[in-house]
Amino acid sequence: MSDMGLIVKTTARATIPLIGIFGSYIVAHGHLTPGGGFQGGATIAGAGILFLLAFGLNEMRKHYNHHVYSSLEGLGGLAFLGVSMLGFSVAFFYNKLWHSGPFFNGKPGTLLSAGYLPIMNLAVGLKVFTGLVSAMAAIALYRRWRE
Amino acid sequence: MIPFQFITAFLLIFMGVYAFLYKRNLLKLILALDVIDSGIHLLLISFGYRLENNVLPTAPIYTGYETVKAPMVGPLPQALVLTSIVIGVCVLSLAVALTINAYRHYGSLDVNKLRRLRG
Amino acid sequence: MNVLPFVIIIPLLGVFSLPLVGLVGKKAREAWALLISGATLGVTSKLLYNVWSTKETLVYTLGAKSPMGQGVGFPVRIVWEVDLLSAIMAFTIAFVAFLAVAYSIEYMRHDTGLEKYYVLILVLELGMLGIVLTGDIFNFYVFLEIMSIASYALVAFRNDTWEGIEAGIKYMFVGSLASSFILLGIALLYGQYGTLTMAYLAEKMAANFTLTAKIALAFLIGGLLFKSGAVPVHMWLADAHPAAPSSISAMLSGLVIKAGGVYVIARIAFSVFGMAVNLRTLGWVIIFFACLTLIVGNAMAVVQTDMKRLLAFSSVGQIGYILLGLGIGLAAYGTKVGEIATAGAIYHTVNHAIMKALLFMVAGAVLHELGTKDLNELSGLAKTMPKTTFAFIVGAAAIIGLPPLNGFASKWLLYESSALFNPFLGAIAIIGTAFCTAAYIRVLYTFLGRPSERVMKAKEPGMAMLLPMFILVGAIILMGLFPWQISKGVMIPAASMLANIKGYVLAVMGGV
Repeated sequence: MSDMGLIVKTTARATIPLIGIFGSYIVAHGHLTPGGGFQGGATIAGAGILFLLAFGLNEMRKHYNHHVYSSLEGLGGLAFLGVSMLGFSVAFFYNKLWHSGPFFNGKPGTLLSAGYLPIMNLAVGLKVFTGLVSAMAAIALYRRWRE
Repeated sequence: MIPFQFITAFLLIFMGVYAFLYKRNLLKLILALDVIDSGIHLLLISFGYRLENNVLPTAPIYTGYETVKAPMVGPLPQALVLTSIVIGVCVLSLAVALTINAYRHYGSLDVNKLRRLRG
Repeated sequence: MNVLPFVIIIPLLGVFSLPLVGLVGKKAREAWALLISGATLGVTSKLLYNVWSTKETLVYTLGAKSPMGQGVGFPVRIVWEVDLLSAIMAFTIAFVAFLAVAYSIEYMRHDTGLEKYYVLILVLELGMLGIVLTGDIFNFYVFLEIMSIASYALVAFRNDTWEGIEAGIKYMFVGSLASSFILLGIALLYGQYGTLTMAYLAEKMAANFTLTAKIALAFLIGGLLFKSGAVPVHMWLADAHPAAPSSISAMLSGLVIKAGGVYVIARIAFSVFGMAVNLRTLGWVIIFFACLTLIVGNAMAVVQTDMKRLLAFSSVGQIGYILLGLGIGLAAYGTKVGEIATAGAIYHTVNHAIMKALLFMVAGAVLHELGTKDLNELSGLAKTMPKTTFAFIVGAAAIIGLPPLNGFASKWLLYESSALFNPFLGAIAIIGTAFCTAAYIRVLYTFLGRPSERVMKAKEPGMAMLLPMFILVGAIILMGLFPWQISKGVMIPAASMLANIKGYVLAVMGGV
């Protein structure tokens, strides 16, 4: 996949950070507003896909390391599992942080509330972002026999 | 009387099934699967809609909910649809990857060409 | 300590940590996959022992102590509900999956992309375990899709061959359409009754059974028959199962079509719809498909020249037996015949998982050593691969139902109950077995025939492939030695627990 013209590249350079910030906002406020880990992660992955489309596969190869991404994806999953195990003395997925935890048990509607949900959103956001970027990069790399 | 959103949902599902049965292009088949799923999502979402005392419901947002003073639409169907969309994305990306591979091996996206396995 | 959540937690941990462990090296990754599946096997055997010794339905609520909502009298949380049938299925799944992982260490040695392979095989196991444990109908759908997506990817794992890709695409489209039907059925049920917990759904349905629920049942049964490979829609199975790597074929044929198809049909027909629907009609519908499946599957197996394809068609036929037992169990619900038929179906599910896993592993060993699975080129294999041939003979004899092996007991229960229920069905079952015998005798005749040149160069596979095969042979012989003890002690109680619909409902709803 070759890169695109100057206009697309410049626009992409300007918008990729903004898309990333917006996605991070969606992830961080997942327990308060619509959205959450998956939507925010998909938005950030949109920035990665825009990078791939605008700058081409060769540029992407320099910034994309398969091992890093799949490890990060595993880490996201492990964080999700670990957080859901926190309240295991009561039940799997018991929201211990919300009921008796040291933090994340503020007033509903504030950022530091909802127990394990913000952490889970972060974990899922990480997993979705890395997973979608990996999938897109893999699909782009598959086309190499044409070139 | 059947509400119109249910009719729309079933129309979408039938359109998807029709395209699934009668189209021959792999990409169109993938789209057909997506259309069927969209119809089911619309059906699920509309189950969560409720009208209480003729007040329009709001979305299930918890920030500033106390000030809205309106019934909330059912949050559970939205969670179900979200889960289903995530699954749909997985199936979609896998389908596209397989289609690219099929194009590499068969040089065509026609389903009728994918008939080498017999028995 | 409640072992039930660990059945899911351990595979999840394995799946998520496998990419990190894989950074250490290839050996570490294989050892980790083996360790995780072994630990799952241990946990499920403890679960089976717990459920079997107490004969009580275990209920585990996610996120709270009780499934009931705060201040309301109905369950709002996701529950996992395990009766004896679920526990037996979970144990079988973990057992076969463990052996498949052990087998693939040598079998897949020459393939690339193995980090994905081991992740996917654990995801497949996780999905199946989730399906058999869950007591929530949407949770079931999620696990079904986890299992299905992993199996699509594994069928198309060898993406440098056209065979894998074509089979993967066919499997994926048919499977996704079936999944959409199942989701539509679940959505209709949710729209009608406003709940997703199977037990509460059953209770509400018993009070008010509407047309929408009937349509939902039709969609669910239709989609699940797709997934289990019943006859009008079995073509994907005959393409997908031979095209996958053999260790995966063993899991697909042995486990996936049962956990994702037949088990769920049983669960939905008995536990969810059992109190509302006319079980006699539903039973006869399933019996009709079962008879078709039984005859067509076994008959098609006879004419195949590809060994793995023959085994896949034989799987279709054996699914017919299981569905037949299930259908009779539904149609004759509440009688002794129905209980025997259900017990026979459960028993045959377990037996067939073990036998078909063994047979596919044998086919994989032949494919690995000779590079072909065409029966015309395999004559005289017994001379150069005697151990593999012995394993095949045991598996084939068991699947035909020869007396000293495990297939005999389950098939006997099915013949007995179908003959008691309706002699015509008994005759159909016997005809199916005749076809099945013809198919396997043909393979055996090929194996024991005059050796061809190609076969003379073959040698036995390595220890890592032979050992899982011989563990399965041992299991077949061991289960064959105590057939009536197993059926009296485990299978009949499982059938009666499955038939005890009220008990399943009350386990969640509390003793109201």
